[in-house]
Amino acid sequence: MRSRRSDRAAAAGFLAPFLLLFTAFFALPIGYAVYQSLLAVERIGPLGLGGSRTVFAGLSNYRAALTDDAFLDSITRVLLYAVVQVPLMIGLATILALLLDAAAARGVPFFRSAYFLPYGVPGVIASILWGFLYVPGVSPIIDLLDAAGLTVNLLDSGSVLWSIANIVTWEFAGYNMLVIVAQLKAINSELYEAARIDGADAWQVIRHVKLPLIRPAIVLTTVFTIIGTLQLFAEPLVLRPTSTAINTSYTPNLAAYTQAFVNNNYSLAAAQSVILAVAACVLSFGFLRLVGRREDDR
Amino acid sequence: MRRTRGRWRGRTALLFGLVLAVVIAGCSSGSDPASTGESARKPGEKITLTFWSWVPGVDKAVDLWNSENPEVQVKLEKIPAGNSGGYAKMYSALEAGTGAPDLAQIEYQELPGFLLEGGLVDLAKYGAKDDAGKFVEWQWRQVAFGDGVYAIPQASGPMAFFYRQDLFSRWGIEPPKTWDEFRQAAQTIRAKDPKAYISTFPPGNAGWFAGLAWQAGAKWFGVEGDTWIVNINSPETRKVAEYWDGLVRDKLVKTDPDFQNGWYKDLQEGAIVGWVSAQWGDAILAGNAPQTAGKWRVAPIPQWDTGSFVSANWGGSTTAVLKGAKYPKEAKDFAVWLNTDPESVDLLIQGGYGWPAAKDALSGSALDKPYDFFGGQKINDVFAEADKAIDQDWTWIPTTAATYQHLGDGFQKAIAGQGTFVDAVEAAQVKTEADLKAKGLKVKAG
Repeated sequence: MRSRRSDRAAAAGFLAPFLLLFTAFFALPIGYAVYQSLLAVERIGPLGLGGSRTVFAGLSNYRAALTDDAFLDSITRVLLYAVVQVPLMIGLATILALLLDAAAARGVPFFRSAYFLPYGVPGVIASILWGFLYVPGVSPIIDLLDAAGLTVNLLDSGSVLWSIANIVTWEFAGYNMLVIVAQLKAINSELYEAARIDGADAWQVIRHVKLPLIRPAIVLTTVFTIIGTLQLFAEPLVLRPTSTAINTSYTPNLAAYTQAFVNNNYSLAAAQSVILAVAACVLSFGFLRLVGRREDDR
Repeated sequence: MRRTRGRWRGRTALLFGLVLAVVIAGCSSGSDPASTGESARKPGEKITLTFWSWVPGVDKAVDLWNSENPEVQVKLEKIPAGNSGGYAKMYSALEAGTGAPDLAQIEYQELPGFLLEGGLVDLAKYGAKDDAGKFVEWQWRQVAFGDGVYAIPQASGPMAFFYRQDLFSRWGIEPPKTWDEFRQAAQTIRAKDPKAYISTFPPGNAGWFAGLAWQAGAKWFGVEGDTWIVNINSPETRKVAEYWDGLVRDKLVKTDPDFQNGWYKDLQEGAIVGWVSAQWGDAILAGNAPQTAGKWRVAPIPQWDTGSFVSANWGGSTTAVLKGAKYPKEAKDFAVWLNTDPESVDLLIQGGYGWPAAKDALSGSALDKPYDFFGGQKINDVFAEADKAIDQDWTWIPTTAATYQHLGDGFQKAIAGQGTFVDAVEAAQVKTEADLKAKGLKVKAG
């Protein structure tokens, strides 16, 4: 009895710091955003000089968000982006990890650091750097292509989304690779020996030993990437002034930012953020369920 | 197992309830009318006012004030220009209730927005009406709403046409007097040099487009009683949009954004040889294309009708006192000094802040001189004429920033091949009406 009580005290002691921070920086802001998304402001006089009051508005902000073409376009845009970006990112990270893990690989520590290095560059800085490589007249890449007779515009409506995808891939492929490398390192080398004795070649080892065993790492990095793509923000924000194709609601996050800080409509911004959070939840848990079910089928 | 889970569920519910209680308590206290915390300065008391601005040269004017006013010191904090994040910073500080400066740089088109959020101090209470006579009348009207005075005017931007005189004369082109001639000049330039364009149509810069519509006689906004009148989709605005639609369709102008590295490079290399811009554009050109010094000239803005001369205004700024300022009287005094004291105005002119809002500032000031960058031309004679030919009744709405975005988004779409600039104007009309309604205001189409 006594020991159970002290166990419980210990558990509470260990959990308290987490719960405190979780409440202060996660549950509270979400609760506040939900609360704010249900409010609206009424004003008296053309400049509100007659006073204003905050009233309960029900779901009208959600209705406004979901009937706004620009916001719906932004959701479609990030979904299209995710369909391309997630497989590309995970494929690249997996290939890089397998290359580094290959028996014949040379200079592994160097390449591992080199691939990982972009992750140390903040997204805003990365976007500024890549921005210089995208702007005509400043970019050496465009100059070289021009000299070769190819005129490209990396910032127009047809290409800018993929220019952004390039920045994001550059930034995060190395990080995802490292997660996969860590799991590859954890594979017991006896399994390779056994496979080799059974006559498996390098490809067969990858297909039948390595890939199944790094599945959890791939699932984890996929969920990270899904959430990351939906939350696309810094890259389009930084590239916006240089491009004629990034509008103020290019991604859902950018739309919420614009509503909150340019149009001072915090309630609509809160509604948009809640919608985005729900979408991210549905997609990442949906993905986890999907891969979980396949696991059970085996 | 079941028991413990049930208990946890109870605790989670309790926790959530607590969270909600805190949230609601936090909100209700936040929505109380904040006490202003104003105080009067005692004689001899030393105070410091903070001032957010992005205007080049304002630091020198502030230094001058600080050296003359040891008791009321002003601490200047440089922020990004308004639409590049400066306003977002101010609005969030006001919303948070702490961290806002005493004084801030606010452009004319954004004043109603700040007013609507309750962010500005009515300076009429601190004697601002006595200062009205020191300023150009139409600029004063931009800061006076109802019985109040909500900012001190600083500068405006009468528009004209900057052009590369060396290239124009090599190609045998006269600076265009009408928009028809502007189009012909654009064609000649394309024919003479395949790399050169007369100008760009900056899709993201709706403020520039507003200036051109203003010149064409449009009046986008007005108030009748307590109802806003929105008239963006007017024949005048459509005429301007159609005109630029034509130039873009025939590839006579670029469509790259202005104020970006690519555009500066184009100016430096003679790939863009003209710019319809405001008076403050002189400092932008001189600062970003120094190697073209001596080659630029300024001509009056092209006209729609040859009958009477009409110009327009692009940009223009004020110094406002933000809600929460502890010493509004001193803040107002500084704002008036900054924008009327001849020495201060000269320092601001040298930074390129625009056309002074202070009355009779031209003669004898730093504006009244030949400019080496413009081959010795006294360019401000052109702008002085422009300043006299601006329609003075233009007003802005509390959601101007959103209107700019709608126009910008529409222009971008048009350039991507979906629709025209006229479509963008039509869409901006509809969306602006919705914006004002969303703010809880009454609105109707003009």
